[in-house]
Amino acid sequence: MDILLQLVISGAIVGMIYAVIAFGYQLTFATSGTLNFGQGEALMLGALVGLSVFNAGISYWWVLPIACVFGAIQGFFVEWVGVRPAMKIKSEFGWIMSTIALAIIFKNVAENIWGRDDLSFPSPLSDTPITFGDAYIEPMGLAVIGGALLIMLAVEAFNRFTILGKAVVATANDRDAAGLMGINTRWVIAFSYALSSLTAAFAGVLIAPLTLTGARMGASLGLKAFAVAIIGGLSSGFGAVVGGLILGIAETMTGFYISSGYKDVPGLVLLLLVLILRPAGLLGKSTIKKV
Amino acid sequence: MRTQPWWGSLGLLLLLCGLPWLLPNDYYLHLAETILIYTVLLYGLDIVVGYTGQVSLGHAGLFGVGAYVAGVLSIKLGLGFWLAIPAALLITALFGGLLALPALRVVGPYLAMVTLAFGTILQILINEMDFLTDGPLGIKLAKPWLGHHPLTVSEYYATVVAIFALATVLMNRLVRSHWGRAFEALRDSPIATDCMGVSVYRYKVLAFVLSAGFAGVSGCLYAYSEQYISPNTYNFELTILFLLAIIMGGRKSRLGALLGSTIIVLLPKLLDDIQSFRLTAVILALMVLLGSALSVHRGLTTVRRVLVPVVGTAAIALVSFKLDAMTDWRLSIFGVMILLVVYYLQDGIVGFSLHWVAKLRRDHDHVGHAAFHSVDVGQAPITAHASRGPESLLEVADVVMAFGGLKALNAVSYTMSRGSVLGLIGPNGSGKSTMMNVLTGLYKPTAGHIAFKGLSITGKEPSAIARSGIARTFQNVQLFGEMTVLDNVLVGLHHRFNSGLVGICLRLPAFKRDEDALRTRGQQLLQMVGLHAHADELARNLPYGKQRLLEIARALALDPELLLLDEPAAGLTAADITELLALIEAIRAAGVSVVLIEHHMDVIQAACDHVIVFDFGEIIAAGVPAAVQANPKVIEAYLGA
Repeated sequence: MDILLQLVISGAIVGMIYAVIAFGYQLTFATSGTLNFGQGEALMLGALVGLSVFNAGISYWWVLPIACVFGAIQGFFVEWVGVRPAMKIKSEFGWIMSTIALAIIFKNVAENIWGRDDLSFPSPLSDTPITFGDAYIEPMGLAVIGGALLIMLAVEAFNRFTILGKAVVATANDRDAAGLMGINTRWVIAFSYALSSLTAAFAGVLIAPLTLTGARMGASLGLKAFAVAIIGGLSSGFGAVVGGLILGIAETMTGFYISSGYKDVPGLVLLLLVLILRPAGLLGKSTIKKV
Repeated sequence: MRTQPWWGSLGLLLLLCGLPWLLPNDYYLHLAETILIYTVLLYGLDIVVGYTGQVSLGHAGLFGVGAYVAGVLSIKLGLGFWLAIPAALLITALFGGLLALPALRVVGPYLAMVTLAFGTILQILINEMDFLTDGPLGIKLAKPWLGHHPLTVSEYYATVVAIFALATVLMNRLVRSHWGRAFEALRDSPIATDCMGVSVYRYKVLAFVLSAGFAGVSGCLYAYSEQYISPNTYNFELTILFLLAIIMGGRKSRLGALLGSTIIVLLPKLLDDIQSFRLTAVILALMVLLGSALSVHRGLTTVRRVLVPVVGTAAIALVSFKLDAMTDWRLSIFGVMILLVVYYLQDGIVGFSLHWVAKLRRDHDHVGHAAFHSVDVGQAPITAHASRGPESLLEVADVVMAFGGLKALNAVSYTMSRGSVLGLIGPNGSGKSTMMNVLTGLYKPTAGHIAFKGLSITGKEPSAIARSGIARTFQNVQLFGEMTVLDNVLVGLHHRFNSGLVGICLRLPAFKRDEDALRTRGQQLLQMVGLHAHADELARNLPYGKQRLLEIARALALDPELLLLDEPAAGLTAADITELLALIEAIRAAGVSVVLIEHHMDVIQAACDHVIVFDFGEIIAAGVPAAVQANPKVIEAYLGA
């Protein structure tokens, strides 16, 4: 029973990170109908840049905003190089391939800068676990859960209460109508990419002290977060959290009870099952395609 | 359709056969062999990417399945190469079918992610199931035996050439058949494909199964070529390389696949040697610069548009002189290549060259060779079989179609008798097009029943409804734009092809008979709408009015008993409308019943026996055209109170 509680806690921590990345997918999908296939690499870059800044002697709590700024710039770049040209020629194949290409480039560049080995990111909080019952949670784990919720709430609040946020929501609802109302939708889409990469970079710096950091950490995180985004539905922020928790816990269970080699399998299988049975996701709204 | 001259193919085959004598050593022969093996896989990938227009990120996984079928058969059962080939084909095809299952409902980015997840799972399984695959250790394979004699390097190469040639022939036959046309149709307009009686789901699954079959054979050949396989080979990077190869070489082209495969096999070797890479990069940059300058000079493109590729290739050349070793930057180079190809070489090298040659040629002689068939195909009946059966053709009873709270159709009931022309009119948004989408199965009605020829079609799949005899056109034209005009009609004639995979691959007499007869039939249908001179043009290049006529010809190819026309006169000139009216009259005279949605009242007056008026999803009036037009309710709906 206690080991079960322990697995749930560890799963929830990983799950919240998935939720943040999945949330990033939702942001760009809402405004432009496109996804950044390199979302995992955005997280990886955020974590590695954060590590370099940290090693330069800057306090962890300053590393977070710096990594966020870097993430935003990286997001603008992805939109500018990979997405905008494809949207201009209305090529779905185009943006899928170019965001993948950018992801490969980012990963390769990171490998050449930071090396191929995993690096450790020292934890800013004490390592003394907080125990309750026989289960324990590291303070950093609590920070991850809190931070993840905080950044998602912050983006939601931003969308609801600021004029720029309202432009984002309007564009998400109907890009053409928003354009006719004088909203610069192209800029809003670029902005949503910046926000999306920002949240990913933030998540990267959060998770780095708990796991190891390295150029290769992005790919599987990105894929599994997509599974989360699909499970939760691409239109529901709450769904991302639920999907993240489901997947995170399923993974730690699989790793413990079956074999850690199969740890990545439940997410992928879950992704395939949800897409077969309920493509709009567990909490997403299904839409009828108009002819 | 491009027909490569046969002597070109023969020359290439002779060259391939002669390579063992031409190349200095086995290393180069092995490279050539790898190129051919990858090409077989690329044929398969081309079916999915080029023909059906889907993105697959799972082909490295399928390639791995093929290789591991060979490996596992060898170490666990002691079975050799000759059994492994068919086994790899069948088992990988099965995996392809499995992969296609989620394809039922997902498209675009979803499908890409599904295939990526599938490929990743396969790689994990190969790695973890060490009781079967020996896990990360990998499997060593001996050279195949023929009888009591192990094949030498050049003999195995000859085997690969033979299988490559066979794959090329099969691929050519496949894509130039009704199956190939179905693949292309579902890429251009899945909705119209379903409404032509060609099940999109069925052909998507078939495309993946066939594609996986090619990948399986390729994987098996690869396993015996390398004589060692390990799980790490079949990773994401390989998938990306395959995609780069197919889009860079050129989609829908055998030559393109071969070219792409050559690039991805030779490029890594090139990157290993910095000197030769620098040379290649400089040559490439100069070629792009020269080509762009020439194009700009001839006024074919603008400086702005060629700026990025020119600067990009020049930057690669410059960077190559800065770095001492390129190996570490291999993936970045691939990434940059993908970006450049996706935006500046969308049709691949083959497509680009053909396009360029065509443009230059047009510059030289302004006469132009619009090659069209002007075969005399004679007069032909509008439908192949006379319409018989119960007097009442269509019965709609209490049909409700609700989108959330909005009822686009609210308890609509009417019947339609055989051989009549029924007009549906009403203000915009009154439910006319919704009615058509419900009739053709694109929407499943929330409540109510629809019977066609006395049989219920409520809730049936669009393709099944189409095959039962209901054909349609679309308000916003849904042609297969990248296909020729004749091929568009041939998709409509799909239901009359009786051959399966065996017939297509072996070109059996029955298949050839069907193909010839139905091509003639297609020409006849085009003649009926006056488009036979345009048979070889791409559908998207037709002017709007002719596109509408082509939609009608394509719908008639189904030999329908009921034809639904959704605003056929929209955007037509007065002269075109006269022709349209004559066509509708001829269709009715042939015994085909017609439902006509139209805003042109004169067309309704002239063509319809009976008119139904919709407003807010309900029928507000029905009767003969003149009576309906005088109905005060109708006047109110159209003009306001």
